[in-house]
Amino acid sequence: MEARVGESFRFPLSVIDGIRLEKPLRDVLLPGRIVYDDSGHARRLPRYFYEIPSWEQAMKVQLSPSFALWEFIQTDVREAAPLRGFPRYIPCAITLLAASLERFREAVGTFVHIAANGGYRSPRHALSVNATTHCWGTAVNIYRIGDMYLDDRESIERYAALARQVLPGAWTRPFGNTRGQTDDHLHLDVGYVLSMPRGAPERSLGFSAERRAV
Amino acid sequence: MPVPTASQYTSPRSESLDAILARFDEIERKSGARSIAVAVYDTETHASFHRNGNRWFHAASTIKVAILVGVYASIHHGWLLPQSRLHVRNRFFGAVDGSPYRVLADRDANSEVHSAIGKMMRITELALHMIATSSNLATNLLLDLVGLETVQRSLDELRIDGIDIRRGVEDEHAFEQGINNRVTADGLSQLLRVIAEERAFSPQLSRNMLEILHAQEFKQGIPARLPRAVRVAHKTGDISTVAHDAGVVYPPGRKPYVIAVLTEWSPSDSGRSATIAEVSHAVYDLLTTTDGGARG
Repeated sequence: MEARVGESFRFPLSVIDGIRLEKPLRDVLLPGRIVYDDSGHARRLPRYFYEIPSWEQAMKVQLSPSFALWEFIQTDVREAAPLRGFPRYIPCAITLLAASLERFREAVGTFVHIAANGGYRSPRHALSVNATTHCWGTAVNIYRIGDMYLDDRESIERYAALARQVLPGAWTRPFGNTRGQTDDHLHLDVGYVLSMPRGAPERSLGFSAERRAV
Repeated sequence: MPVPTASQYTSPRSESLDAILARFDEIERKSGARSIAVAVYDTETHASFHRNGNRWFHAASTIKVAILVGVYASIHHGWLLPQSRLHVRNRFFGAVDGSPYRVLADRDANSEVHSAIGKMMRITELALHMIATSSNLATNLLLDLVGLETVQRSLDELRIDGIDIRRGVEDEHAFEQGINNRVTADGLSQLLRVIAEERAFSPQLSRNMLEILHAQEFKQGIPARLPRAVRVAHKTGDISTVAHDAGVVYPPGRKPYVIAVLTEWSPSDSGRSATIAEVSHAVYDLLTTTDGGARG
């Protein structure tokens, strides 16, 4: 966010309607599709994405004063092949996540490190199980804060409590080593947020202008 | 000392082989080792000999050669790219009941991989750390990625017997239950032979694996008593009760030979590396003698 006072900031990434992408990309992003969470509740996956043209661009774009776009798209060989190259796509809610994380960053007072595979993951990422919020671009796995690795109960629970305090409504995964728990990072998410920015392509709204005018 | 030309080498004579097997007996007796197994294959003369070649040992870190082969098989089949990147995470699932465990940093010879926790490393970087400094964390990450079945299938594809992979490293619960990776000297020798002869999937991939094995940093075993000009591509393995080394030895002016030396000890015994080095030296002496080992 480098816009100077009095100068309007223009977000440099285009908004893309996922259902208009090429089939190989639709097959891994599953835009607008229904998936089920661990409790069996239906959740609709994001349909609108920011298009990231290159790694260089991901390095340049600041989503908040402390978090750049690249930090949210570090996925390994387990990510679906079409999303290992560029252009790459990330749900529009990522900006809301970054704003929330900035608040958390201010509260901890030091660097917050997002793990590889710990930002956005597609529904076809090998580690994406059921409706994980990572597929909404609304979750992060934090493995280190400042110089401290979050790999024990004390550090994970301490920062989880702080996150819930400064981000009302945020969810943190409980400590433990069974399914649904965590013992080597802090999982923090802001829920199944769907975001459709004002820049979303008009044709993609799915209904006519006449209908909208009524 | 003048280097003999390749054509001057012949297979060891039978009396030389008898002599070296007797020498192995003597080394075992003097060292106090519970058991020593040796397997040798000479790509120059196609001669081979072994002692206790089919005896099973706890594999220790020599199993990492099999995992290296599993990784390169995955590259060969197009499932991975050498530059593919992998999340470095220290959390694995045990072979007994799937309960999670970690590789303790202070029990791992390599700190570089531990310092990358949370980040990503390339597959080939991890493979190098797995072999050159025997990184247990890199080993488990690669095994977790490709899977036990892929490794075993890759060994089957290369028709290797005598290597039995059953779990990741540092899985203490599995160790207590007797679930261990096992190798024989013949098995490791066969595997290194197909790599040395560039028959492991493709000549290029075989050369890539050899390059990694050449980067070995622990040199107290096979190379320790060989002339400095001799290059060795190898992998060591050491736990409280076993010490092994297996590799491909490249004497100047001739084709390489493959050697696997597996040893078993009481936990309090010392002199393990020296014993492996002595066996290695004896084999080198035999195979690099131009008259077929008449000196034996």
